[in-house]
Amino acid sequence: MRAKNKALSLGAGLLKWTVLLFFLAVALLPLAWLVLNSFKTNLELQASPFSLPARPAFENYANAIAMAELPRLFVNSVLVAVGTVFLNLLVSSMAGFVLAREAWKGRDTVRTVLEAGVLVPIIAFMVPYFTLVTKLGLYDKLYTLILVYAAINIPVSIFLVTSFMRSIPKELEEAAIIDGCGFFQRYSKVILPLSRSGLVTAGTFCFIYAWNEFVMAMLLTSSIHSRTIQLGIRFFTSQFITDYAGMFAAIVLSMLPSVLAYVFLHNKIIAGLTAGAVKG
Amino acid sequence: MKKRRNPNALKIALFLAPVLVLFAAFFAYPFVFTIAASLTKWRGIGAMRFIGFGNFGKLLGDQTFRLAIRNNVVWALASGFVQVPLAVLVALILAREPRGWKVLRTVYFLPNVISTVALAMVWTAMYNPQYGALNGLRELLGLEARNWLGDPATALPAVILQGVLYIGYFMIIILAAAMNIPRELYEAAEIDGATTLQQEFRITLPMLRGSIVTAMTLAMAYGMRHFEATYLMTGGGPAYSTTTMGIDLFLKMDALRYSEASAAGVILIVLGTVVIVGIRRLLGRTDPMAEAGQ
Amino acid sequence: MKASIRRTLAVAAIALFALPAMLAAQSGEIVLKWPCIWVGKDSKAPAIAEIVDSFNKANAGKIRVEVEPQPDYNAYEQKVRTSLAAGVAPGDIFTLKLNATTKEFYGSKYIMDLTKDFSGSWKASFDSGAVAQSTIDGKLKTLPFETAVLPIWYNMDAMRKAGVSAPPATMPELWTALDKLKASGIYPMSQMTGDTNAWTSMIWFSHFAVSFGGAKVWEKPFTDKAFVESAKLMQRIFKDYTTPDAVGAGAGVSGGHFLAGRTAIFSNGPWYAGRADLRATAFFPSVTIAAAPPAGSTKGVMISRLQANVAAGETKDKNRRAAIVSFLKYLTAPENISKLAQGSGAMFAVKSGYVPTDALQKQFYDIAAASKTTANDLEAALGSEATLEFAQQLGALVLGNITPEQFCALVEKKIDR
Repeated sequence: MRAKNKALSLGAGLLKWTVLLFFLAVALLPLAWLVLNSFKTNLELQASPFSLPARPAFENYANAIAMAELPRLFVNSVLVAVGTVFLNLLVSSMAGFVLAREAWKGRDTVRTVLEAGVLVPIIAFMVPYFTLVTKLGLYDKLYTLILVYAAINIPVSIFLVTSFMRSIPKELEEAAIIDGCGFFQRYSKVILPLSRSGLVTAGTFCFIYAWNEFVMAMLLTSSIHSRTIQLGIRFFTSQFITDYAGMFAAIVLSMLPSVLAYVFLHNKIIAGLTAGAVKG
Repeated sequence: MKKRRNPNALKIALFLAPVLVLFAAFFAYPFVFTIAASLTKWRGIGAMRFIGFGNFGKLLGDQTFRLAIRNNVVWALASGFVQVPLAVLVALILAREPRGWKVLRTVYFLPNVISTVALAMVWTAMYNPQYGALNGLRELLGLEARNWLGDPATALPAVILQGVLYIGYFMIIILAAAMNIPRELYEAAEIDGATTLQQEFRITLPMLRGSIVTAMTLAMAYGMRHFEATYLMTGGGPAYSTTTMGIDLFLKMDALRYSEASAAGVILIVLGTVVIVGIRRLLGRTDPMAEAGQ
Repeated sequence: MKASIRRTLAVAAIALFALPAMLAAQSGEIVLKWPCIWVGKDSKAPAIAEIVDSFNKANAGKIRVEVEPQPDYNAYEQKVRTSLAAGVAPGDIFTLKLNATTKEFYGSKYIMDLTKDFSGSWKASFDSGAVAQSTIDGKLKTLPFETAVLPIWYNMDAMRKAGVSAPPATMPELWTALDKLKASGIYPMSQMTGDTNAWTSMIWFSHFAVSFGGAKVWEKPFTDKAFVESAKLMQRIFKDYTTPDAVGAGAGVSGGHFLAGRTAIFSNGPWYAGRADLRATAFFPSVTIAAAPPAGSTKGVMISRLQANVAAGETKDKNRRAAIVSFLKYLTAPENISKLAQGSGAMFAVKSGYVPTDALQKQFYDIAAASKTTANDLEAALGSEATLEFAQQLGALVLGNITPEQFCALVEKKIDR
C-alpha cells in the first residue's frame, strides 16, 4: 500500500514538473529567440533564424537607440501606461464598488452592458474614434492615448474588479458600518484594500495593453512628441523591406522596461497581498 | 423582497459617472455609429445612403464571412476549453507553492508582456518550412518539411496552437483567486486524511468556480473578436483559411467598404454576446467565495 | 495621492505641447504638416529631409513644413482612409497610391482641387501620360509624383553559374533557365502569396496577362482566357521553381531570399535599387533588369504604374493654400526631383532631365525609355479588393485546391465594374 502511494506520488510529481517545464519552455522560447536574433546581422537572420550569430552585432542596439529616438518614445510610453493604469483603476474601482456592494435598480443591466464591451473588436471603431478625437481637439496629443486606453480597458477591469469585490464577505463591511464608516469610507478603507488582488491584476492588464498597443497609437498621433515606443519599433520597416535585426533590437529594448517593471513590482505587490489573505 | 430606493442613490450615481462618461464616448457612441453605418451604403467618401439590412444579408450569404464565423467559434472553443483548463492546471500546481514557483509565475506571464508583433514573428519563423524549428523536428523523424502557415489545411491549427499555449493571462486570474482561499480549509482536510488530488477537487475547484467562469468568459470573448495574432502571421490566408470576423472587417475597411465592415462588426458583437450568455447560463454565475463568507 | 500626480503630469504634458503651437501662432508662421512615409530606412528619406530643410530655410518665419514620420506603410494607408472617412484630411501635405480603389478619394471634399493651380510651366514639366492618369472626370486632385516600372530582376552571377548567359527572351528559354538554376542547387525564383497583394507574384502575373491579352487586358472579365492561361503558368512556377515558403510569404521574405542569393530571379520596382543591403551583396554588380519573356502574342510592353501621388488637404485660408501650393511646386521642381532620383534610384513623373550614373539605376531608365507601350499591373488596375482576393486565392490555386478557372471566377466576383 505504501509502495503504491509512493509510486503514485512520484508519478504525480513527475507529471507536475513536466507540465511546469513544458510551459516554461513555451514561455521562454520567444524571448530567447528574440534576444538571440537581435545580435545577428540581417543576412544572418534570413539565413538561419535558430543558429548562433557569428559575432554579437551590438550595432543593432546602438542603431535602435540612435535612429528611432527610443529614449524619448520610452518616456512617452511610460507616461501613457502609468496614466492609463491610474485613470482606469480609479474609475473602475469606483464603479465596481457600487456594482458589487450596493443594491440599486438597474444595477445588473449596467454591469452587463459595461462588461459586454469585452466583445468589441476595437479596430472596428477606427473611424468613430478618429472623429471623436479630432472633433474634441485631442488629435496628436500624448494624453489622448491615456483617455482612450483607460476607456478601452473599462470592460475587462469592471469584469475583474467587480468579481473580486463581490467575493468579499459582508461581515467585514457590516463591522465597519458599526464602527461608523460611511459610504466613502467603506469604499476607501474596507473594500478597496481588500480587492487589491483584483486591482493589481486589472492594473497589470491595463499597463500591458497601453504599453503594447499600436493601431490606435498610430492612428491618433502623428508627431514625435506624442508617439509611443511601439511606433519606434516600426521605424525599422519601410514600404518594402524590414530591417529585422534593427527591429528585434528595438523590440528587446522596448520589452526590457515592462519586463523589469513587471518582475519587480508585480511580485512585490502580490507578496504583500497574499500575506493579507481574507480572514476566515 | 421589495427593493427600496437606495438612500445612497446620489453617491452611487457620482461613483458611476466617470465610467459611464468614458464608456459612452468610447463604446456607446462608436457602437451607434457602427450600427448606423451598417444600415447604409458608404465608402468613406461622401454621404451615407440608407439601405436597410442589405449589408447583413450580403455578409451572411458570403462564403468567406461564414468561414470567418466558423473560425471564430473554433478560436472561442479552443480558448475556453483548452487554454483556460491548461491555465487552471498550472495555477493549481503553482498555488501549492512548489520550489521556484514565484519565478515560474513571473516567467509564464512574460509572453503577455511582449507585444503581439514579437510573438507573431517568432512563431512565423518557427513554422517556416526551411529553417523553422518544427520542421527540424520532422526531419529528425524522417518526414518531409511542410509549409505550416502556407497550407490551408494546416494554417488554422498552426495559428490556434500558438494562441492556446500562452496561458499566462488566465493563469494570473485563477492564481490570484486560488491564493485567496483560506488555508484553514486545507488544514482541516489534511487532518481528515484527504490526498492532494482530493483536496483540489473538493475544495479548490469549487471555490474557484467564479474565477474559472470569469476566465472562460473572457477567453471566449477574446476568441470571438480575435484579430491581431492571426493577421500578423497569415493575414487571414491562405485562401482565407485562417480569417476571422475581425480580420474580415479590417480588410473590408482597406477596400473602403465601411458599411460592410460595420455590419461585420455588429454581427461579431451579437454573436459574441450569444456565446457569452450561453456560457454563463451553462456554467452558472454563483460566487462560492461570497457564499462562504456569509 | 495618485490623482494629484496624474494631474500634475497632465498639466506638464499640456504645457509642453501647447508651447510650440502658441509660439508659432504668435509669429504668424504657417505650419504645414506632412505625415510622410519617406523616412527612416526608405531610400528617399535623406533627400526628402534635405528638400524640406532648404524650403524651410528659404521661407523662414513665413512657412514651415513639418515632417511627421510614418514608417509603417500599412498603418499610414489606414490613417489616410480613416481620416478622410472621419471628415479630416490626413495632413496639409500627404501622399497616396493612386489605383482603382483610391480613385474614390477624388470625391472627397477634404482634398484640395489642384486643377486650376496646375498649369503653365509647372504642368509642362510633368509627363503628360502620368498627368492624364491622375486626372479623373476632368479634375486633378493629386499630382503624379513617383512612378515605377516593374521589370524582372536577374542575379546574373547565379545565372551564369548555372549555365545561363543572358536573361531569357522567350518562354522556352525561361523554362530552360529555370531547370538549369534548379540543377545548380538554388531555388530559381522568388514568389509569394502573402501581404495583401502577393507583390512579387502579382507582378509576374501582370506580365503574363498583359502579354496574353494586350495592354488593355484589365478591362476584360477576369474569366478571360488571358487570365486563365496566366494562372496556369503561375501554378507551374510555384510547383517546381520557387522556395517552399512561397505560399504565405510576404515581401520581406521574397526579397530576403533574393538578397541572400537563395533565389536568382525576382521582381520589384526602381526604388529597390537604392537599398543599402542590396548594394552590399556580393552579386550586386551582376544584377540585370529585363522585361519578362512574353508569354503570349503581345510583346514589348512594360508594366508600369503610378507609385505615389502627392495631395494636399483642402483649406479655406488663402494664405495657407498659397503656402501649400508653393511647397508642392518646390517639391516637384526638376532640380529637387533630380536630387531624389539620385539618392534613391526611384523614378518620377517630372521631366527633370536627370540621367543616372549608377549602373543599375541606368538600366531602369533605359528600359523605361525603350518600351513602346506600358500597361498597369493588377493592383493598380483593379484596386485593393480584387488584389486581396488574388493574393488569398493564389495559395489555393498553386496548391491545387482550386482550378485556374475557379481561381479566375473568384477574383472576377470581387471586381467592381
